[in-house]
Amino acid sequence: MKKQNEKILTILALIVLGILVYLAENNLDAYKLRILNLGAIYVTLAVSLNLIYGFTGQFSLGHAGFMAIGAYVTSLLVLPPYYKEMIYILEPLAWPFTVIHAPFIVALFLSGLFAAIAAFIIGLPVLRLKGDYLGIATLGFAEIIRIIANNIPRVTNGALGIKGIPEFTNLWWSVGVAIVTIYIIKGLIESSYGRALMAIRENEIAAEVIGVNLTYHKVMSFTISAFFAGVAGGLFACLLTTIDPKAFMFVMTFNILIVVVMGGLGSITGTVLAAFLFNFFLEYLRPIEAGFNIGPIKIPQVPGMRMVTFSALLLVVILYKQKGLLGGFEFSWKGFFQFINKLFKNKRSSEGSTM
Amino acid sequence: MELLNVDSITMKFGGLTAVGNFKLKILPGELIGLIGPNGAGKTTVFNMITGIYTPTINKIYFQDQDITGIKPDKIAKVGIARTFQNIRLLDNLSVIDNVMIGFHLHLKSNLASAIFKFPSYVREEESIYHKSMELLGKVELEKFKLEKAGSLPYGQQRKLEIVRALATGPKLLLLDEPAAGMNPQETKDLMSFIQKIQDDFDLTILLIEHDMKVVMGICRRILVMDYGVTIAEGNPAEIQNNPEVIKAYLGVDVNYA
Repeated sequence: MKKQNEKILTILALIVLGILVYLAENNLDAYKLRILNLGAIYVTLAVSLNLIYGFTGQFSLGHAGFMAIGAYVTSLLVLPPYYKEMIYILEPLAWPFTVIHAPFIVALFLSGLFAAIAAFIIGLPVLRLKGDYLGIATLGFAEIIRIIANNIPRVTNGALGIKGIPEFTNLWWSVGVAIVTIYIIKGLIESSYGRALMAIRENEIAAEVIGVNLTYHKVMSFTISAFFAGVAGGLFACLLTTIDPKAFMFVMTFNILIVVVMGGLGSITGTVLAAFLFNFFLEYLRPIEAGFNIGPIKIPQVPGMRMVTFSALLLVVILYKQKGLLGGFEFSWKGFFQFINKLFKNKRSSEGSTM
Repeated sequence: MELLNVDSITMKFGGLTAVGNFKLKILPGELIGLIGPNGAGKTTVFNMITGIYTPTINKIYFQDQDITGIKPDKIAKVGIARTFQNIRLLDNLSVIDNVMIGFHLHLKSNLASAIFKFPSYVREEESIYHKSMELLGKVELEKFKLEKAGSLPYGQQRKLEIVRALATGPKLLLLDEPAAGMNPQETKDLMSFIQKIQDDFDLTILLIEHDMKVVMGICRRILVMDYGVTIAEGNPAEIQNNPEVIKAYLGVDVNYA
């Protein structure tokens, strides 16, 4: 297939997606929209985590921290000044934050930028570590961010959190950001820089001896990953309209990690699929927590039962599909048409045999 | 002027001296063999030259430039490439990607032009692709270009690793046991291949090898190491009759024999 045709098909697919978003925005109730929005935000989060973990092979558990930075930056920028005065009850908001104000899109961009700067500063020393040690260090970083947020009430309103954030996030924003994220990260991975990142994942010593600058490429990947996590954090804040430090505990990172592992390390298509499946199931499984009957056995009400079920599901996926639902598979138009061709051929040949 | 000047370097790991007072001067165009029993410190020498280890004492010069303690990727950039004893390919990447990565250090396009596929980047990538295919052609691996490197048979993995090293455009090529695990016919092919690439790419080669047929067949100068020190140096005939060398390999006294 020609490159040109693929481009046209992609644009057509985007238009169809646009129509779907339009229909969803106008016809679905708030509850369903919330789930779809969360799904799209998870796409951004998980695709960005996949860049550093799945493609570069660096086990990073700091995503909740970058999200938190993004969420607070966006919140402080989009809240109207008069409203800020109202919610900072314990201690008044410190000076520059009382007056700064920016439109949503600028706030989102700055959210990403601040998360990226944090990633750059933390990444330079920390990315020398390998494997589990890197995981622990980045996890520590995320916890530090959360604890700082808890302890500077003059900026973050401490444990009370920020309430009444304007609900700017809708499907146009969340899906739009997800598409931009996929476009940029896919573009990176399919470039010679992406090849260098995967070389680091495959064999660090070999990559270095061939001439791949480890520090530059790791920090680059980490920083870009954090940028999108920050933007997603901003979207997250403007979807829930209320944030507090507890929202960015380790569980948040763990959820994103589940999505990445379930979808397949190193597969963007798998990540997108898993992000939506994760959020659908999280809601779909809600009745489990209320207690139910299996024949004569009565299962009592257990809060947190959803997560137990999820862990069990994750175990099953890891046992039977070590590489996640889609492994290293990636959607392409060529593959799509080959698949359809095969489907029809099988049909025809089976029809032929019955005659 | 020598291409590489290793100025009596020493490498200590704690109390153990892995390599002591190792000296080596290589002139452009030479093909030198480095041999010795297992654990003699040959690979440690390679690791020091390529920047994986920094020598504890003294320095290494490449084209009169001090390269001691420089990171491996910078050393690749000045023109030293290597292969590994235990093949280190990018197993889950395709054969062609394994070669194309070798050109990464010469990449001129910046990150933005690579992500958004600017025409200048696309042109550069295409030229890298063609150069890589040309290199693969030299080892007849073109037809496997889309296979995963890890799925190739052993002998072809070795060839691919050499080709990847060539892609970085080296002046000095270090080969760590290229004939390991090859059958006699493959070994014979490898010998002519090494001589061919030396001519084609105007290379200087330093070679660790246990297969004496290879070393004696293609190297004009041979260095023998044992327990971290150089015990002999000379042409194949001299080495074969050197009592120290025979002692190191066979562990018997020549007079006794």
